[in-house]
Amino acid sequence: MPAFCPTEMRTLRPTSPHLSTPSAGAEPLKKKKRLDPAILKHREDRKRKRLEKQIRRLERNAKQLKPIDELEVPLKLIDQKEQRTRVLTPLSETVLEERVLLQKEWCQYKHSQRMQDLQIIDRLLFSQQKALNELKKESEDLYQAAIQIDPKLIPFKAKGPVRTPLINQYESPDGEYVDVSRKWE
Amino acid sequence: MAPIENKFSRLLDQIEFERSLKSDHELRHELDRRQAELLKKGEVPELDEEKSTQTAQDFEDICQEELSNFKFSPRVWGYESDVHSVERKLDSSLLLLVKQKLGDGFVWALPHGLRNEGEAMHQTAERVLKEACGSDLKVRFYGFAPCGFYKYKYPSKARLQESGTVGAKVFFFKAELLSGAVQCNGTLVKEFKWLGKDELATDLQREYCRSVMSFLIDE
Repeated sequence: MPAFCPTEMRTLRPTSPHLSTPSAGAEPLKKKKRLDPAILKHREDRKRKRLEKQIRRLERNAKQLKPIDELEVPLKLIDQKEQRTRVLTPLSETVLEERVLLQKEWCQYKHSQRMQDLQIIDRLLFSQQKALNELKKESEDLYQAAIQIDPKLIPFKAKGPVRTPLINQYESPDGEYVDVSRKWE
Repeated sequence: MAPIENKFSRLLDQIEFERSLKSDHELRHELDRRQAELLKKGEVPELDEEKSTQTAQDFEDICQEELSNFKFSPRVWGYESDVHSVERKLDSSLLLLVKQKLGDGFVWALPHGLRNEGEAMHQTAERVLKEACGSDLKVRFYGFAPCGFYKYKYPSKARLQESGTVGAKVFFFKAELLSGAVQCNGTLVKEFKWLGKDELATDLQREYCRSVMSFLIDE
């Protein structure tokens, strides 16, 4: 039946326009199979129980933390504590004094090193700033191009300097990889 | 290491030793000694047959021997005097100097060239390096900004010819060598050298050298 002849339709079924859809002529749906409500309930219960069991198991395991071996003193060491302590003569006054003096000297040395580093950085920055200022005097465009960030340098990775020169075309031998870490379920 | 560093490192070792407990190896050493004393007295100590008869002292000797037999690879490879090699002076950084055409003659300097119209400064630096040292060189430039500056006046003869220009401004860029070797083509660049910071003064002009030094790190 053509759906687009309103005059005809209105004369046929004026109160139910949805009947004009193609499903109007379809075969009636099959009757749904009814299950016994007792069986349904039983199934649902089983499902719930299974889930509850899983949750309980997870909760129990959550409390069980992985031991950190490094933080536990091995029993062997506790047993042999006395056997393993060193018997040392107490340090004399002069030795202690010397140590303190050396530590002070060390502080001064590190401080001077740090100051030197800062001076170097200052000098480099000054040199660069001077160059940039001169560039700005020449041309604003070149200056603007120079102060942009180079995306190729981010993230910055540096390698070396190396202690010994690298051996040309050296292929390092393949080692065997054995994972000995314990499994914790 | 500086003497003070040596001294302080020894002190730290000493303190660590004082605070430590005896190791398994030391215990074994003591046990060995006690057993040796018992043997001297004529008593036969209880020995586990299953245990190896190697004493702690033996073990130390073997380790010592292994260490003395091991050959560390040398730090100096005979390249020290070869200024064309980047393998010299491994403990410090090297700077590339070229004998490049400037005006009528050749001058030792860092690779240099004129900027073309429309180029940014770092593009000029990359192009100039390629022209002077060949395209075999793989380098990484440290950013777009120049790290140093130098200004000089042309000699008076040249100044007359080029009307209006009195001198030139030089902007330095730092780059790191990744791989490859320098090839000089002869017409633009005659020679090249890899020099340490302490050797620069002999080849560079004084003022130029001062400018270069001001953006190098002390070592």
